[in-house]
Amino acid sequence: MAKSVKKPGKGGRTSKAAPTATRKAETARRAGGTSEETSRRKLERVRVPSTSARRDDSTEGRYVYCVIRSNEPLSFGPLGLGPEPSEVHTVHHRDIAAVVSKTPIVVQDPTRENVLRHQQVNETVMQKHTVIPMSFGTVFKTNDDIIELLRSAYDAFSDVLSKMQGKFEFGLKVLWDRDHIVREIEEDDEDIRRLKSEISSQKGSTYFARMQYGRLIDAALQSRSERYVAEIFDALRSVSVASRSNKPIGDKMIMNAAFLVSRQMEQAFDARVKEIGQQYDKLTFKYTGPWPPYNFVNIRLKLERAH
Amino acid sequence: MAVERAPGGTSLIDVLDRVLDKGIVIDAWVRVSLVGIDLITVEARIVVASIDTYLKYSEAVGSVAPISRPSPVAELPSSQVLSAENASLRAELAASRRRGRRRSTEG
Repeated sequence: MAKSVKKPGKGGRTSKAAPTATRKAETARRAGGTSEETSRRKLERVRVPSTSARRDDSTEGRYVYCVIRSNEPLSFGPLGLGPEPSEVHTVHHRDIAAVVSKTPIVVQDPTRENVLRHQQVNETVMQKHTVIPMSFGTVFKTNDDIIELLRSAYDAFSDVLSKMQGKFEFGLKVLWDRDHIVREIEEDDEDIRRLKSEISSQKGSTYFARMQYGRLIDAALQSRSERYVAEIFDALRSVSVASRSNKPIGDKMIMNAAFLVSRQMEQAFDARVKEIGQQYDKLTFKYTGPWPPYNFVNIRLKLERAH
Repeated sequence: MAVERAPGGTSLIDVLDRVLDKGIVIDAWVRVSLVGIDLITVEARIVVASIDTYLKYSEAVGSVAPISRPSPVAELPSSQVLSAENASLRAELAASRRRGRRRSTEG
């Protein structure tokens, strides 16, 4: 049985699985099948070993959207990703379940439509369940394979589901108008102001003055951006469980963060973000959510050849 | 400015930012070759390579410039450790200054 590594920040640990044969039997048993179902499944396995025979079987793959805690079989409607919207349903192991839909066994391209569909399913499931989102594009061949996924990473999933219970992610990007801030800095900083007038009035080479001016402006921009970001993080600390800071995109963005917020604190968080928006009237805020906790869960899995 | 909250699925960039490499990730190699593996249960097994949950509010994010991949909180010295170190360095500096001043007045 694979074990999860519970301490955050620690590297991966793997453990040997039970011998394949026993596990296979166990998986079939756990799948809840009668012996009849089990043998049918075995027949299916025998039926599809070669690539040529797989053609008519191409709709048999399962796209996985997320993992939730549930004992009941659930259905979320015809929201599935793929050529025709298929029913989104659950595949169970013990008290956890994968949310899946049938799809052709192909590598799904992250097109606009596919990616939004993936997100839409997660959003729908998230309304009533705590989800661990799956990254885009994971297709399994059979339900058994998914059950094997749930079984072997059960401890990790179960642990993370408990930790994420009743929590959502919110995104907050902060942008500024760089030119506007530069003008502000020039007004505030005497040295920079003097240098600037020197450059505009001086005849001949202004190379060194311009270099110096650029350096001072850069440093001032940097420290101002750090100050804003630190202040905003500080203001949101008491209304969130955790935060993550991602790399800002483009030169207008100074902050690209995600916050993990518990359900009870959602309104307080919302109100605080709006307050911050009024307080920093020169900054632009892009506030999104609720999201599944993408930025707060990182579960890496790999397949190993079984011996 | 007035800040309005937009639901998750409205910006493709925000969605892409998340779904491509976050959450539960199965190795890219596997995702591509999954098609070629007839039965994972027979030919391969799934192992948990690593798991991180970022629940602790990072003390560091507030004080440093945004970086692409913050290192795990556990690896950063806590602010207490840093401020203790800072204080002892200050004390040392002050002491050596005092010594220096004494020497210059004596000399």
